[in-house]
Parts: sequence; C-alpha cells; structure tokens
Amino acid sequence: MIEKVLIANRGEIAVRIIRACREMGIETVAVYSEADREALHTQLADEAICIGPAPSTESYLSMERIISATLVSGADAIHPGFGFLSENSKFAELCEQCNITFIGPESKVIRKMGNKQEARNTMVAAGVPVIPGSTEPIYDAKTGAVTAEEIGYPVIVKAALGGGGKGMRVAEKPEDFENSFNTAQKEAQMAFGDGTMYIEHFVQHPRHIEFQILADKHGNVIHLGERDCSVQRNHQKMIEESPSIALSEEMRKKMGDAAVKAAKAADYTNAGTIEFLLEKSGNFYFMEMNTRIQVEHPVTEWVTGIDLIKEQIRIADGRKLSYSQEDVKITGHAIECRINAENPKKNFRPSPGMITDMYLPGGKGVRIDAAIYSGYTVTPYYDSMLAKLIVHAGSRKEAIRKMRSALGEIIIEGIETNVDYQYEILHHPDFESGDIDIEFIEKM
Amino acid sequence: MKLQNMFKKTSRKSYISLKESKPEVPEGLLRKCNKCGAAIIAEDVKQGFYICPKCHGYFRVHAYRRIEMLTDEGSFEEWDRGMTTKNPLDFKGYEEKIEALQEKTNLEEAIVTGKASIEGMPVVIGVCDGRFLMASMGEAVGEKIVRAVERATEEKLPVIIFACSGGARMQEGIVSLMQMAKTSAALKRHSDAGQLYISVLTDPTTGGVTASFAMLGDVILAEPHALIGFAGPRVIEQTIGEKLPKGFQRSEFLLEHGFIDRIVERENMRQELAEILRLHCNTERVLRTPDEQQVHTELEEKVKKVRSAWDRIQISRRKDRPVGSNYIENLFESFMEFHGDRCFKDDKAITGGIAYFKGMPVTVIAQAKGRTTKENIERNFGMPSPDGYRKALRLMKQAEKFGRPVICFVDTPGAFCGLEAEERGQGEAIARNLFEMSGMRTPILSIVIGEGGSGGALAMAVADEVWMLENSVYSILSPEGFSSILWKDSKRASEAAEVMRLTADDLLHLQIIERVIPEPEHYTTENLNNVCDVLEQQIRDFLEKYTAISESDLIEKRYGRFRRM
Repeated sequence: MIEKVLIANRGEIAVRIIRACREMGIETVAVYSEADREALHTQLADEAICIGPAPSTESYLSMERIISATLVSGADAIHPGFGFLSENSKFAELCEQCNITFIGPESKVIRKMGNKQEARNTMVAAGVPVIPGSTEPIYDAKTGAVTAEEIGYPVIVKAALGGGGKGMRVAEKPEDFENSFNTAQKEAQMAFGDGTMYIEHFVQHPRHIEFQILADKHGNVIHLGERDCSVQRNHQKMIEESPSIALSEEMRKKMGDAAVKAAKAADYTNAGTIEFLLEKSGNFYFMEMNTRIQVEHPVTEWVTGIDLIKEQIRIADGRKLSYSQEDVKITGHAIECRINAENPKKNFRPSPGMITDMYLPGGKGVRIDAAIYSGYTVTPYYDSMLAKLIVHAGSRKEAIRKMRSALGEIIIEGIETNVDYQYEILHHPDFESGDIDIEFIEKM
Repeated sequence: MKLQNMFKKTSRKSYISLKESKPEVPEGLLRKCNKCGAAIIAEDVKQGFYICPKCHGYFRVHAYRRIEMLTDEGSFEEWDRGMTTKNPLDFKGYEEKIEALQEKTNLEEAIVTGKASIEGMPVVIGVCDGRFLMASMGEAVGEKIVRAVERATEEKLPVIIFACSGGARMQEGIVSLMQMAKTSAALKRHSDAGQLYISVLTDPTTGGVTASFAMLGDVILAEPHALIGFAGPRVIEQTIGEKLPKGFQRSEFLLEHGFIDRIVERENMRQELAEILRLHCNTERVLRTPDEQQVHTELEEKVKKVRSAWDRIQISRRKDRPVGSNYIENLFESFMEFHGDRCFKDDKAITGGIAYFKGMPVTVIAQAKGRTTKENIERNFGMPSPDGYRKALRLMKQAEKFGRPVICFVDTPGAFCGLEAEERGQGEAIARNLFEMSGMRTPILSIVIGEGGSGGALAMAVADEVWMLENSVYSILSPEGFSSILWKDSKRASEAAEVMRLTADDLLHLQIIERVIPEPEHYTTENLNNVCDVLEQQIRDFLEKYTAISESDLIEKRYGRFRRM
C-alpha cells in the first residue's frame, strides 16, 4: 500500500498530484529548489523538503538528492510528473534498487522506449506502422530510386550526417527522384563532406494524434482515446483536444488497437502515450512513446471521466485496472490551452516576474490546473508554463465557444502571457473548421 | 499574498505501518564525494574514471584499478610480488601495522610494479597506492622501483611511474631517506642509456618522493588540482606564520612555475601517455613520402619586390602577420606542448613541444607573439624571459637525448628587458643557449619569421641553417635603439634601418643566413599556406640532408658555420 508519495516535480503538475493523493488519503511530500520556496506545490504538500539551489541540475534533476529526500521523509513512492526525471531510466532503476515505488513503468521499459532505434524495432516487430525508410545507407540515385519505389512516394532524401535542413530534398514523384537525390547529395557533400544518404517516406501535412494508454501489472491494457495536438509551435504543443475531428469511429478503433498493441509489445505498465503522425490519406505512423503522464492529460480525463493520476497510483500499487476497454466511453469534447509566461510579440521570449494581480475564470465545464497566485513570482529557471485552461462541452463547436469565453476572462497582470495569442488561434477559421496539421502555426 | 501555512494538510496517520520492507539505499549504491560532500551514485564514479560527476573532484584510485584504466586488457604482468619491508629499524608495532594493512587492502606494499602495454606499446609501470601508509616510500617501495627501472633499462623499455605519496616512511627512518638516492640513481642510469621516463603526479605527491623519482621524468604530467610539493602546506604555514594562497602547491601552480610539462585530465591520460610513447618509439627519423607532387606556388617565380629596409621592418611587425603558433599548426601534426623550465616559470613567450613533421617526430620551439592584444599581453609581446630560454634549452636537450631534430621559429623584438629578467639572469640564459646549442648532437634549423631581435633571437638560432622570410629582419638591435645609441636620436630609425643591413637579402648576401623564403604581397594567415607549402618542401630537404650526417660531422659543420663569421 502506498501511504506517502514524494512528488519529484514542481508547478501545476506537482499540485495536480498532491490533490489526487489528498483525495486518496495519501500523504504528500513536496521537494523544492531554493527558488521555489514560495511555490504553490511547496506550500500545499503535507511536507516539503528543499533539495538544492535553483538550477534544475542541482535540484529537480539531482537523483541522489531526491532519493535522499524520499528516505528522510519516509515516503514509499515517487511520482515523477512530466519533464525532469520522469523519463530517466536510471532514476527509475535507482528507485527500484532502493525499494521505492516509482509511479511509472519499469526502468527497462523506459530505457527501451527512450532509444529511438530500439523503439522503432519493437514497433516493427509488433506490426505497428512506422515511417517506411531505407534500412541501408544509399550512395547513388539508381539504387535510391529502387528503394524509393519500395517505400512509396512522396519520399524525402536525407543526408546521414544531416542537420539544419541541409542535404534534404523531397521527391514528389519518381520523375523527380534523380534530380532530388543528386541535389541533396551534392549539398551533403558540400556541407558535411559525406554523401551517404537515407530515404524515408515523406509524411505530408500530418496531424499529431496520440493515444492515452493505461496498463496494469496484470497484463491488462486499455486506451482512453486520442488527443489531437496538431497546434504546435517549434514542436511545443499549444492546444490539445479530444476527441480529434479527423478520426472516424472506425479509424479510432484501428489506431487505438495499434496503440494497445504497441504498449503490449513494450511490456508497458502505468499511464503512457503512443504518438502517431496521421496523414490525410488515413495512413498513420508510430512516432514515439512517452513513458509518463502528459501535460495534456486533463482533456482525456474530461471526455472519459477517468482520473489518470489516481489510476497511475493504483497501478503502481499493483492493483488491477478499474476499467475495461468497453467501459471507456468518450463523452463530449474537451480542449486545453497552455498558458505560458512568454511574449508572443518578442518571439515568445520567456517573461518572468511577479504576478501582481490575477483573475482566473470558472463555471461549468471550465477547469484550471495552475500553480500561480496573486503575488507569485515566476522564476526564470524553469519551463514557462503557468497554467492549463481546459474546457468541456457537448460538441467541438460549443467547446470552442466556451474556450473563447474563458480565455477572454483571464487576467494576469505583471508579466506577459500568450493568452491573447491563444485567443486569436481560437478565432482562426481553420482552427474553427478543424482543417489543421502540425504546420498550422507556422502558416498562420 | 503570502501562502505560508495557509493550507490545511492531510491528517497524519496515527498507526504505524507494518510493511516488511521500507525503502532504503542498498549498501554501496551511493557514496559521498570527499571534495564537495555531495551524495553520488557509486557506479557513476566507477564508470567515470573516479571523478565526482558533481564537482569534478578526483577520487584517489587504487593501484590495480589505475593499471586497468591505463593499460591494454590482460597485458599487465606484475613484478616482485611478495616483497615487503624487513623493518630495518626494528620499529615497535610496525610489522603488525603492515600486516593489518596488507589484510585490509590486499596489497603487499605501497607500490605495484610490472610490465604492461599501452595501445600495443610495451612499458614498465609503477603505481603507488595511497591506502598503504599514504604510499610512503620505505625500503620495499624503493627496491621495487629500482628493480623495475633497472629491468626497464636492460630491456630498453620506457618507464611510467604514477606517484602519490606522503613522502619518506618515518618508521624506516634513515633507510627510507636512502631510497631517495637509490631511486634517483637508477633513473639516472636509465636516462643515460637514452631511455624514456614519464612521471605522473597524482594527489598528493609530497616530501621525499617529490624530492626524488617524482620530479625526474623526461616528461612530467600531473592530474588536475593534485597537491604537489616538498614541504606540506601545514608545515610551511607553521614555519612562516602566514596563510598560504589558494591553489598553492596544486598542479596548476606547478605548471605556472615551470615544474611540470602538462596537466592531463584523468579521462585523457591513457591517450596522452600513448601519444608520448608513440612519439618516443619512433626513432627511425624517416619522413613520409610526399602524398603527391606539391603544387608549387607561384611565389618563387615572382620577381623580388624592391622595398626599403624600413618598409620591411614595418611589415615584419604587422599585427596580422602570422605568428609562431600558426606555423606549428600548419606545418606539423599532433603537436604536444611541453611547459616549463623546471626552475622558476613557464614562459609563454616561447612555446615548445614535440610534433610530427611528415611522420618524423621533431621538437618544435617557437617564439610566440600573440594573435590578439590579450594574447600578446599573456605572451609578453614575444619577449622571452630567461625562463623561456631555459625551457627552450631543456626541450632541445631532450630532443638531443631522443635523437629528434629541432626546428625553431624566431620572432621576437628582443629578450625581455625587465627587473625580474635580470634577477634571474637574462644574460646567462642566452649565453647558455649559445654554448649548448653549438654542441647539440642533433640537427637544428632556425627560421626567422618576423623580427629577429638581437641576442634574444640568436639564443634560438645557433643552428645548422638559418632561414628568413622575405620580409623578416634580423639585427643587432632595433633601428630605434641603434639610432639613439649612435646618433642620440631615435627618430632617425628609418635612416638607421637602411645602413644596418638587416633584411633577409642583406643577410643572405653577408652569408649570415642560408635561405630566403618568398612571401606573398600582403602576408597574413589567409595566405599562410602559400609560404608553408614552400617551407614544407624546404624543411623536408633540410631534414633529409642533416639527419644523414654523422653527429661529429654535424657539430663540426655547425662550429665552422659560426667560426667563419
């Protein structure tokens, strides 16, 4: 029985976990850096232990200090949240060695899924689709053309030593291949002094669709539907919603089954996420598995009614899943907007400082996961996410309206935020119609 | 709003949990860094060369682990196992102490010696182990070192000793003191036999060990921040009644004061040792055949430009003119810099070390002006102190011992004129170089690349051949100095320049130098390659010619070269 949990994280996710524990009657221990003395998670937890100075390498990333804090406080489990040590297999292994329950998968699973090549191999072996590509290095256009035909057009030619977009060319159709290959190779030769190339299927205008997985230690694996996270800036998600407008019931089942298969192939336990790229054609490809709770988990919670953090703790405690796949029903539509301390007018530069005044919206179907309060100082040391605003309504259209209304109410004074920017996105006709892909923000 | 103690907490459980197993750290999983005090994962330390991942402090390494880290797997063959002390002074309780330590550490004495190979090259290696009476040197340590060195001399093998010691072993008194002489004597014979000895100093190397085998290496390396000194800091503080400055007697301090060649991070130690061994194994003096026919630059064909001497002086002093380090980078491979004169200082106005020239190990020494103002201040604008000349001489002597040709690059306004320089004997240092270089049993080539300022330049130019770049100058004194001495007017420098005959062409004419190397119109690092292509071919010819001459003929020829002037 888990009786006391140490939360090895900060910010809103730490607060979220503390609340879940409290509801389950579990005692909580917060750890904090010197910069987070006043932070909400520090104040909210039953106990709080300072683990070092502000830089995260010396506090939230210091495995030894967190293990020491766990032993000193008498906690029997650690919840790693997301970021920091959450996907560090070595940390999970340390917990295993010290007889501390790590609320997440086993260290060896984290290690396996953290290695891109091994994760890909696991998926290929399990029959989960991955982006088709050449398995051998390619040196000339002739051999390349044969491979490209096998992979299927459009293809992208990439330099083996590539980076920064150099030595990369897309060939839409077989006629273009030779030209594209030669140009890319020449560029690679110039830039890296090496003409070794790879060919991959070019995934066109994909959506980012991810499936939430729950797996217990008794071999039961279910998925809780998808999240559409196509609204991204520089690979940072900004808005997430569930369900995705792009998925038919049939597609949902197909991708969900693949996700469950993927989790089973990885010997996965606890909450995890399988990320896919979905093409307009309906083809989808495994991208990676996140072996932790996600920032955007509340949208899934709202459409399924399942508390993911509590499920995580129950699973870690060795209990069976409380739900079967049939029990999972998607109801209504949920959208999450990430509210960050950043200035969209200055290239999204982080904007630390004191929140002098604030007002956060509420009401039916509005949820806020945050760790800020009036008088709180946003430090420059960590991620700039301040809060998550999540809404739930009967339909996507209604949810969008609710989100607009809620965003319009938010007041955060003293620092710059991206609230107005999010407000604009919510009014964009393409977002409204759902006609988006991962390049949406770039093109906006 | 302050939130302190505002929230209600979960009520504490009133019962005691009856769990079978509580979380705990298994024995040996974590350890504490004795430098920064942080708890660290033991496996990380072991995998990371026994360096604290937090503060980069160095843990002491057990002798056998050190050997494992340095040598080729399975190559180590231990010598003189079972040798222990006979307690020469019949010191009470000493034998019991030794026995207890042997039991505890699984060592027989404070040093492990034997033969091994590093990247395939055989070496004799000795490693002190601080767990054994702080690796103090008693008769057993001294004897093991001497036996290892003697055998190495006999088998013509290089010796590497990792020192770590508190000094002489008190319990063995005067017998321990004699080990200092004994080990030094063995190393002298090893050196006289032309064999290499590399000493590596680790934390701490003090007392009688510093005053004997540790400081006698042809090459002396040290780990970072190691305490190295004769008298311990505490003794010094008590004696002089003063607090010692931070960093006193640390490796970095010793490097600055000219006593060690290089500081080597532990993770690079094996590689560096291998490189030094390779440079010394290669004694054939054979040049790699040229890859392909060099495309000769048009420089040579060009008609020599007519320029006034004063113009050439200005050009030789130009800020964007290539400096010594540019030539080292361009003409040589794997340059390994060696620091210090082993007396007082490492003079940065002179850079020296070993490198390959077309596969042949050579000693390269350059008077080093800086490339920026900041670097120039550090390098004293290329004006060497006596310490610089002594370092150059030390490196030349080493080259002579190992049969490496010496290539010098001369570029100095003159030897440094300063109080400290005089105190440490600037005149003596220059004179000593002229004296020793004249009889050096290895080829010496000097190339004047910029300013050849008087005695300060000559101290690196008593060579078999001296070459000059087209716009370099070489003279008794700067024209400014010349005109102020002769005409009591330093403003007539340009006039002086014309009568001093200091240009390359003048000197070639006077038979002071052998060769003039042409330069491009505006010579900078941009077109350095043009000059280096020519130099490369010429140096190749020089080395081919001079390495073929017998030592006695070489010295005779060099003597004659100056004798006729």
